[in-house]
Amino acid sequence: MKTVDTKKIKDMLKMKKARMKLSLSACASCSICAESCFLFMSKDKDPQYMPSYKVVNSLGKLYKKRGKVDRLFLEKMRDLIWKNCVLCERCYCPFGIDIPGMIAFARSICRSQGISGVYPHTLGAPEEEYSKNETG
Amino acid sequence: MYDLARGPLMWAAFIIFTGGVIYRSVQLFMLTRKKDRSFYTSQSLKKQDSGKYSSEEKKLELLVSFQNTLIGKHPVMALISTVFHFCLFVVPVFLFAHNLVLFESWGFVLVSLPDSVCDILTIIFLFCAVFFLVRRLVVPKVQAVSTPYDFLLLLITAAPFLTGLFAYHQWFDYNTVLIIHILAGEVMVAAIPFTKLGHMVFFFFVRILIGSEYSFGRGSRTWIT
Ligand code: SF4
Ligand code: SF4
Repeated sequence: MKTVDTKKIKDMLKMKKARMKLSLSACASCSICAESCFLFMSKDKDPQYMPSYKVVNSLGKLYKKRGKVDRLFLEKMRDLIWKNCVLCERCYCPFGIDIPGMIAFARSICRSQGISGVYPHTLGAPEEEYSKNETG
Repeated sequence: MYDLARGPLMWAAFIIFTGGVIYRSVQLFMLTRKKDRSFYTSQSLKKQDSGKYSSEEKKLELLVSFQNTLIGKHPVMALISTVFHFCLFVVPVFLFAHNLVLFESWGFVLVSLPDSVCDILTIIFLFCAVFFLVRRLVVPKVQAVSTPYDFLLLLITAAPFLTGLFAYHQWFDYNTVLIIHILAGEVMVAAIPFTKLGHMVFFFFVRILIGSEYSFGRGSRTWIT
């Protein structure tokens, strides 16, 4: 298993630190954004699809751990930011927190470590594609 | 203890609050730049198109966009949240007793509301706070993003009102309750700029200044990063 370049992650986190941390700290965890996400609505209101849940548990955790994460951590995050979000930008936050922008940034960080998602519905069997993606 | 709470600690709280709010605003402002002028905004395009649609279709569009607002989607939450924030601002600023303190210190007063009105608003506020607490405890989507920190912030926000109610009605030992009330208020005021309560600054800043679908008006600035 490849190791992750934590220095690179740290540098990336630093680039947008001020805005991202402000946005994370402005989130009141009110969950008003939940119903604005069509995926949340179509997945029986599973909290794992809620916009703020996805942000807090991806980018939020990256900042909390100051980028000191391992590959397993990023791989676990992958589903949350690829499969659970399509970056359609339809989520609504009363404070104007840019949720898709933050999820997109978390994706960039994953991509910098060679981790990226596939959309199962367009690329055949998800398991197969996922494992191919990991080795390739 | 009373003198300490009423003197230096109160100053400290106000300085942290004012300084913090200015710091946060400047920080937010520095993260934005002037927006490039766009000639085709979504509004102008809509205007161009508007001739094409019948009044029925326009009415339907209006209805759909209303249903997508906070009031349309979460009427109860919208109402309770509005009332909560209204009381949060109005009660402490227009309370007679607070104006008295203001007069004693600086020799001026703001308008005051009758005590009975503030009393009722405080009780309404506390009911709203209980609603938020229960919501955090039982609604799965809110549970999923709630941490002890969120509960602590709700406590920090509600404590000045709860102790204020006790002080006003002189329940328990008045002097002790009053000191706790003053300290609780100072903690809340000082916490605003540097905790999640900072959404007070963030909300006005982002929704007014940044141009986006949900901003009030056009918004003249945009993020730089
Ligand atoms: S992102 Fe906005 S709407 Fe969603 S929980 Fe945070 S503050 Fe509330
Ligand atoms: S951008 Fe992602 S979180 Fe937002 S509404 Fe679309 S799928 Fe949901």
